[in-house]
Amino acid sequence: MSQIQNSNTADTVPMEDDTMAVSVRELTRNFGKFTAVDRVSFSVQKGEIFGFLGANGAGKTTTIRMLCGLLLPTSGQASIAGFNVYTEAEQIKMHIGYMSQRFSLYEDLTVRENIQFYGGVYGLSRKQIKEKTRELLDYLNLWDQANKLTADLPLGWKQRMALSTTLLHDPQIIFLDEPTSGVDPVSRRNFWLLIYKLAARGKTVFVTTHYMDEAEYCNRLSIMRFGKIVEIGPPGELKAKYHARTMQDVFMNIEHREER
Amino acid sequence: MQRILYLIQKEFRQILREPAFLGLIFGAPLIQVLILGFAITTDVKNVPMIMVDQDHSQMSNRLVEAFSNTKSFHFLGQVGTAKEAVHLLDRNKIKLAVVIPPHFERDLKTGRQPRVQLLADGVDGNSAGVALSYANQIALKLQKQWFPRLPHAPGTVKEIHLTGIEARMLYNPSLESVNNIVPGILAVLVMLITSFLTGMTIVREKEIGTLEQLMVTPIRRGELILGKVIPLIIVGLLLFTIAIISAGLVFGLWMKGNILTLYGMSLLFMMTTLGMGIFASTLARNQQQSMFITWFLGIFAILLSGFFIPIENMPRVIQWITYLNPVRYFMIVIREIYLKGTALHYLWKEALEMTVFGGAMLTMATLRFHKRVG
Repeated sequence: MSQIQNSNTADTVPMEDDTMAVSVRELTRNFGKFTAVDRVSFSVQKGEIFGFLGANGAGKTTTIRMLCGLLLPTSGQASIAGFNVYTEAEQIKMHIGYMSQRFSLYEDLTVRENIQFYGGVYGLSRKQIKEKTRELLDYLNLWDQANKLTADLPLGWKQRMALSTTLLHDPQIIFLDEPTSGVDPVSRRNFWLLIYKLAARGKTVFVTTHYMDEAEYCNRLSIMRFGKIVEIGPPGELKAKYHARTMQDVFMNIEHREER
Repeated sequence: MQRILYLIQKEFRQILREPAFLGLIFGAPLIQVLILGFAITTDVKNVPMIMVDQDHSQMSNRLVEAFSNTKSFHFLGQVGTAKEAVHLLDRNKIKLAVVIPPHFERDLKTGRQPRVQLLADGVDGNSAGVALSYANQIALKLQKQWFPRLPHAPGTVKEIHLTGIEARMLYNPSLESVNNIVPGILAVLVMLITSFLTGMTIVREKEIGTLEQLMVTPIRRGELILGKVIPLIIVGLLLFTIAIISAGLVFGLWMKGNILTLYGMSLLFMMTTLGMGIFASTLARNQQQSMFITWFLGIFAILLSGFFIPIENMPRVIQWITYLNPVRYFMIVIREIYLKGTALHYLWKEALEMTVFGGAMLTMATLRFHKRVG
């Protein structure tokens, strides 16, 4: 019943907006009887660092997967870089970079081979791949490790390398699903410096995280709970609204409020 | 196209970097042909046996000699009485005893048909039967030598009568079983390796998360599948070649027919096995599941292919079912090409059937293989 209403509203409201990198309306995904994402609406501006917070199972990954064209929504609308998730999934893939929770490089290939492979898959020319490889190795300071197996790199470097390979095709929007889980604090900081650089270059960064300190780095945040967005806004505003000193307090406040 | 090349390059880099993979590619065909070729055999060799000679004549000596000089039997010597021989059979020391009766030579010469007794251990009825027929052949051979030299028996046929067996003159198991089994092993090898590896290499990427990563790239479904499948076809043909060479070197069995016809037919057959592997990968969440699915499908396909059980021996209904089994056709094709050197234009029916099954399997698998998760 409610789903029918959703799709009606979604159909009548025009979605195209040039300043929006991501635009989501009433997005829903069911797995059988379980609703993983429940009528979620938000939009992300170009160049924004948008944080996605929530406990495990809140629906963050499911949302990200729908936005990347990996999972079909049950209902609702979403457009990424102006492309529709239902009908233009392949165009979306040309314009996004995606880094999943799991480390997604081939550990049995060397650093150089990984870059070469993903470059090739994204359709870069041989020359472009060479340039990109040089650029990335410079940037990550990985020249000494270029011909070593990826498996032998420290986790923090692997994560930064994984991020870099998702940028090979120069995407406008980058989706990061818990990119820093299991990484030490120094590496996490380095990783976030990288994210800031990307945003400064006009990239849109969409990031999910568990870490509340990381949440503070975002321009805007949305907090998900049981498949719904319960709060959305810049970290400062949220802290003011809950009279909290840190995002940790905001988050705990919300969890308590919802439990009651 | 370029993307496919990068996928193939990546796939080979991974294969070459994995010693277990290399061992599988080069070791498996050699070991399988060796072990299975020797082990799966319906012929009987080195049957432990003794003889009881109660005649001690020139002719009975010749008979003993004949039995001691054959590969089929492992001649352990002579004992005095049939009773002792039975005792040895009971204690599982021997599988066969040949008892030559007294007056063997005299009876033979006078045309009175001496009765040589064969005592066989019937626990393994199959082997016993084969052993008995070997024994009979040895006796018949001797008899043929003796006949022309028997002075007073012109025109009459005399036999050494070996009790309780019928002579199967044309039965030559030692030749037939290896010839039949080895091409069969080649077929099974191609089938198992290509279907297993296809399923496993795809599911492995699912497990480590790289498949999801590939799915968010603009790579097309067809490119992804081709990039996975082409290296495995090359590996499959390489493995097939090693198996062919092993079979030739070990058993002296080289194909009589055209090698290109055989390779072409293998490619048609691989459409099915690769499709099966992709299909398994779409169902399985991890490599164990994928292996189980391919194994489950594979074991039926092998059993119903005529590999060791002749299809004519199966019940009628099962025989009909075997028509739906592509392995059946490849089994026919590989044996025909290997043993008879049958030319392509006699095998077009099998080729067509394999193409239809392979095409259907690949299409179904490809349709199930989405660039989405969940």
